[in-house]
Amino acid sequence: MIAIYLCAAIAVYAALRVVTERNTMRKLPFFNVISFAVTAIIVLLLPGPITILAAAAYFVGSTLESNAIASTWAGGMKKP
Amino acid sequence: MNDIVMAASLILILIGMTAAILNRDPFDKLISLSILIAGVFPFIIDRGFLDVAIATALIAPLSTIFTLMVCRRVKT
Amino acid sequence: MLDEPARILVAAALCWINFVAIDVFFRLPESGGVCGATAIAEEVEKGGGNLHGGFMLGNIVSSPDASAGTLLAACGVYCAGLPGGLFAALLVYIGNRICYDPGYAGTTGAITATFLVFGMTQLGFAATDFIAGMVIAIFTLQGISHVHSSRLIARLWEIRNRLLGEP
Repeated sequence: MIAIYLCAAIAVYAALRVVTERNTMRKLPFFNVISFAVTAIIVLLLPGPITILAAAAYFVGSTLESNAIASTWAGGMKKP
Repeated sequence: MNDIVMAASLILILIGMTAAILNRDPFDKLISLSILIAGVFPFIIDRGFLDVAIATALIAPLSTIFTLMVCRRVKT
Repeated sequence: MLDEPARILVAAALCWINFVAIDVFFRLPESGGVCGATAIAEEVEKGGGNLHGGFMLGNIVSSPDASAGTLLAACGVYCAGLPGGLFAALLVYIGNRICYDPGYAGTTGAITATFLVFGMTQLGFAATDFIAGMVIAIFTLQGISHVHSSRLIARLWEIRNRLLGEP
């Protein structure tokens, strides 16, 4: 029972760190912590065979989102 | 038992919403929107809508990628 | 046998050792896999960290690595036992292929973590301890201070190079 509260606390703390960090690229590792914590919350809220599919879909989607944001930021900085 | 977790995801949604309103840079806005979407997921899962959760998890990054195309075109 | 907080801390230490060892062994701190990872590494170095540690932080952010494999394998063992963990390894491999990554580190991490978590559940640990422990492990690496964690990874990378030869 402590496990899910711990994940929720870590998610809120990481969200506060994302907001207070000024640099755009250094925000992304903190956002990665949020996506780990939310994946854990998804699995701990509703254990079942299909839940692992939902958790993996959320995690891969969130990683792809971070990847796209970082790649576009790097490409946009190099071109001019 | 789920009240504390739901309160935490509500805090996530509020933080993401406030940051998305206040940020100026488009990439910062997109990261804040990602926090907002991350906060929505525990509410969907808590009701047991797993199919809705999978569909949202696949649609949200695609919408972000399409928005990023617009960002790059404006920036260069 | 142990209380739940003590079990979570032991599980966090095991997960940390598992995923950092596999990530360093598969040469993640050597270079950025995609250009986004390189950008994150350069920003971390600009903030006072180390470049090789920054490469590993960027690679963890921009593709599912052994850390994601450990988390999803623990989730799979919690939901469906040993087959769930192996199914999670397959999902991690698909996710790696989506993110333009060869996928050795993630799949290996998921399979080793499956057997680790399944073995520890036979010894009296619960799979939930490993899920929370993995969140704590990734939090210590990426959530507290990028400067110190990147320097720590750079030190581990030097030790790995000294043991196994230069890349």
